[in-house]
Amino acid sequence: MGAFFARLRGGGGGSEPPAGPSRVSEQDRAILQLKRQRDELNKYQKRINTQIEREKGVAKKLIQDGKKDRAKLLLKKKRYLEGLLDKTDTQIDNLMQMVETLEYTQIEMKVVEGLKQGNECLQEMHKIMSLEDVEKIMDETQDAIAYQQEIDELLGQNLTGEDEEAIAAELENILTADIPEVPVTAEIPEVPTHEPGALEEEETEKEKKKEQALEVA
Amino acid sequence: MAVEQSLSRALASFQWPWQYEFPPFFTLQTNLDTRNKQMDAWCDLTLAYYRHIKAFTMDVNEAQSSPLFNNSKANRKLSVDFIRLILDTLEKRGNVEWQDTSKSRCLIMWRSPQEWGQLIYQWACDQGLGSSVCTLYEIHSGEYATEQEFYNMEPWMVKKAIVALAREGKAEYIPGTAPDDSDAGVKFFT
Repeated sequence: MGAFFARLRGGGGGSEPPAGPSRVSEQDRAILQLKRQRDELNKYQKRINTQIEREKGVAKKLIQDGKKDRAKLLLKKKRYLEGLLDKTDTQIDNLMQMVETLEYTQIEMKVVEGLKQGNECLQEMHKIMSLEDVEKIMDETQDAIAYQQEIDELLGQNLTGEDEEAIAAELENILTADIPEVPVTAEIPEVPTHEPGALEEEETEKEKKKEQALEVA
Repeated sequence: MAVEQSLSRALASFQWPWQYEFPPFFTLQTNLDTRNKQMDAWCDLTLAYYRHIKAFTMDVNEAQSSPLFNNSKANRKLSVDFIRLILDTLEKRGNVEWQDTSKSRCLIMWRSPQEWGQLIYQWACDQGLGSSVCTLYEIHSGEYATEQEFYNMEPWMVKKAIVALAREGKAEYIPGTAPDDSDAGVKFFT
């Protein structure tokens, strides 16, 4: 079952991905074109390299066979090929520099795009927050502050010297009211005159006498 | 010659399953149960073998004499029909794709396009290639991919992997200008 679905998804040969808006820009295509040329040069270098190896091998064999002149000719050719390799390296560098420049410019474009959006947003917000509005609000706030000061002044004037005294007295009251007064007329138990045990005996005797008196009566 | 040498060197470390030394393994079994098991073992062995030698295409006639289907020590080899049967089974599993109607050549995917896609995507992210373009050549032969498992992978497999990534929205395939599409490119999205 799993294999069946894997086949459905993975199969279909070289089917292209579903069509949609391409996310590949013109710059991307330009970069790709440059990279393609670099690939071509890379392939060329590989070819030259194998050629150099071949010439080297053949030259060795010629030297062994004593054909020095022909070997020399081949080594000259090898030298020439090596020069080509160096030149190709420079070309690849040129291409890659162009790619880097393009990629960097793309980044710069993104930065500018970001700044542009930020600027638009800022302007949008400034529109909401117009100068006249701010001025009006600040004026109104100033007025309100002035009004509040007037009220404060009016309230301050109404308080005379007597009022001040009364306020001070009230404050004193509140401060003293919190402390509990010491009771002056509290009853203090008398100091006992005899031992606690003796008192008890006396009392029981008294009770006995009372009982006796009742019996007599 | 060099290819054969490197192949034999690569095979020296290959772990053959025990069945490979078992002569009946090379004859199609009649019992259905046994035959299914035999087929599964052959499918697994084929994929493991191709993974080991890092090959992606098979020519059926050539394959008959490859060590995979030809055990010279046991003096046993598979018939072309048997090989086709294995490949058809692998096709049903999604690992094989025939390249012609006469079924003489096929593509062998020992890793699914999705899996390859994931590996390539991971590499692209590591390389910081996100939201930039690169050529398919860069992926299978570029100097920054030499350490990767997909280095030297065949271009058609790379293309399949990219198409699979495109389906997931992680990349976009950019068709090439050459008739064989060898200069195609890809844009990764991170």
